Amino acid sequence: MSGRGGGQYPMRDDNLTVSPGAEPMVKIRALTKLYSQGDIQVTALDRITLDIAAGEFLSLMGPSGSGKSTLLHIIAGVDRPTRGECLVQGVDVTKLDESQLADWRNHNVGFIFQSFNLIPVLTAAENVELPLLLTRLNRAQRRRQVETALEVVGLADRARHLPRQMSGGQEQRVAIARALVTDPALIVADEPTGNLDSHSAQEVLGALQALRRDAGKTIIMVTHDPKAAAFGTRQIHLEKGELSA
Amino acid sequence: MTLPTFILKNALRNKRRAFLSVSSVAVSLFLLVTLQVALRELTLPAASPGAELRLCARNKVSLTNPLPARQRAVIEKIPGVEGVSPFTWFGGEYQNDGAMTFAQFAIDPKETRRVFTDLNLTDTELAGFESEKTAAIIGKISADKHHFHVGDHLTLNSTVYPGALEFKIAGIFSGTADDRMMFFRQDYLDDSIGTPGLVGMWWLKVKSAGNMAPVIQAINAAFQNTSAEVRAESERNFQLDFISMLGNVKTLIASISTVVVFTLVLVTASTMSMAVRERFRELAILKALGFRRRELFAFILAESFGLAAAGAVLGIGGAYALYTFGDVGKMTSGIFVSFQVTPRIMGWAALVAALLGIASAVAPALSVARMSVVNGLKTLD
Repeated sequence: MSGRGGGQYPMRDDNLTVSPGAEPMVKIRALTKLYSQGDIQVTALDRITLDIAAGEFLSLMGPSGSGKSTLLHIIAGVDRPTRGECLVQGVDVTKLDESQLADWRNHNVGFIFQSFNLIPVLTAAENVELPLLLTRLNRAQRRRQVETALEVVGLADRARHLPRQMSGGQEQRVAIARALVTDPALIVADEPTGNLDSHSAQEVLGALQALRRDAGKTIIMVTHDPKAAAFGTRQIHLEKGELSA
Repeated sequence: MTLPTFILKNALRNKRRAFLSVSSVAVSLFLLVTLQVALRELTLPAASPGAELRLCARNKVSLTNPLPARQRAVIEKIPGVEGVSPFTWFGGEYQNDGAMTFAQFAIDPKETRRVFTDLNLTDTELAGFESEKTAAIIGKISADKHHFHVGDHLTLNSTVYPGALEFKIAGIFSGTADDRMMFFRQDYLDDSIGTPGLVGMWWLKVKSAGNMAPVIQAINAAFQNTSAEVRAESERNFQLDFISMLGNVKTLIASISTVVVFTLVLVTASTMSMAVRERFRELAILKALGFRRRELFAFILAESFGLAAAGAVLGIGGAYALYTFGDVGKMTSGIFVSFQVTPRIMGWAALVAALLGIASAVAPALSVARMSVVNGLKTLD
C-alpha cells in the first residue's frame, strides 16, 4: 500500500473572513439527487445551488428526509448526484472515479459522525492515526501529527485509552481529532452532537468553532438542533430537497 | 501503529472466535496430512533393497491357501533361480496383548543370505539361527520396542495354528523396509504343528533382472492344472497387489480428504463473512477516510490468510512433530512402521491452507467492494 502524501502541522492559518468576490470553497450548481424506491422515484435534492466560502461554519438544518445528509455526502465525495455540479476547491467531485475520490477524501475531507465510529480495538491515538496510514509520513511524523491533533481537542492525556474507556464527548472529540489529523480544508459533521448530553455537545461544538476560528477550517454541519446550529456562521434550511432559507 | 498491527488487532478482536477458527483449520489440516501420509504409506510401501531380484509365488486361489512343500524342488530347478525359501505367516500374539505387534514368518534359515539379501545380520547371529531349531531373528524396531536381546526367549500364541511356540532370539537384524518382522524356522513350525508338507508361499531370488520375467512365467506354467496352481510375481507387484486387497483405499481417502477440505472452506468462509459483517460499518468509515477497495480487500485477505496460516502452522507442524518424533508403531498398533510427513505432503497442505485463505476472503471482500460508503454508513445507527 503506497503512501499518498499528507497534511502538515501546524494547522493552516487561512483567512478567517470571507471576501465577497473570492472563489467559494464549495460551489454547487443545480444539484439533483433522485432515489428509486421500487417503482417510485424520490427526489432527495432538487436543483440545489449553493456556495460555501472558505472558513465558513455552515449549519445545515431541516427535518428528517429533507436531503441534508445527502447533500453533505455529495459534498464530501461519498455519494454521487443524479445531475448537477459540486466543486470543492475547484475540483468537481462528481467527475472523479472511485479511486480518485478515495484519495481526494483522504487529503481534503475530515469526517465526524453522529455515532463517533471509532474502531473499538484501537486506542484514541491509533484511531486518530488511521487516515495517516495512507500517507507517506513515517512513524515519528505520524505520531507527532496525532499528538498535535489530540492536543487540539484537549485529549492528549487520553491517547492510550480505548474508546470504551472514554465518555461519549471524549469519543467524539477523538473523532474530531481523526477528522483534522490530515489537515483537511473541509470538515463535514453529520449530527455530531446527536448522541451527546448538553455539556458534551457544548464541548464538541466549541471544538468545531475553534477549528474554524483558529485553523481556518471550513465546516459543514448537519443538525436538527437549533442551539447547535447557532454555533455556525451561517444556517441554511432544507425542506423536501430544496433550500428554504 | 502500522497496517500489520491494525490487521492483527482486528483479527484478534474476538479472541474466542479466532481461537476456534484457527483450531478448526489446524485440526482439519492435521487430519488432511494424516490421511495423505496414510495413503502414501499404504499405496507406496517402501521398497526393500534387493527387491528388484526377488519374487513371490503364492497360491493362485488365495493368499490364505497354502502351497505344497514339494513345489520347492520344481522351482529350484527352473533356470535363473538363485534361491528359494518358504514364507509362512504365523500370526503370533506376543504376551496376549490382543494385537499383532510384529509379523512373524517361517523361512528356511539356509536361504537367508541368498534370498533375503537386505537383512543385516552378523555371521554369528546367522549361525545361531541356522543351528538351533527354536531360533528366531527379529527386526531392530521390534527388538527395541520390546527390549529383546540375543538369547532372550519369547512365546507367541498363534492365531493361525493351534497352540503357542517358544522362540530363542538368535539375532537382531536391520536394513529391511520393515524392521519389525520376525523370522523363524519353517522346520520348527512343521515339527510343532504336525502337518509337514505345507508352506504359506515361496519367496525367491533370481540371478539377474533379465531372469525375472522368464522365471515368473516358468513357475506359473510349472504348476498349471495342478491342485495348487501358483501365481508368481515380483516382490513389488506382490506388495501392491496385497494393498489392492484392502479395496479402493485411494478413492476412500481421497473422498474423505475432499470432504475435509470442503468443510474447511465452509468453516473459514463463514468465519470471515461473520467477521466482516460485524465490521461493515467500520469498513464504511475506512472507505470514507480514504481507504480504497483494494486496500480493504488486502485487509480482509491478510486476516483470512493469517487465520489459515496460523492453522496451517499448528496443524501441519503438529502432524510433522507427532509423526516424526512420536512412536508411530505404537500409535497405530503396529499397522504402520513409518509414517513419513514428506515435504511434498506438507507443501500440498500448505497450498490448501493458502487457497483456503484466499477463497474465504473472496466473498466478504466482494461485498465490501460493492458496498457504497453511504449504504455502509446507514448501518451505523
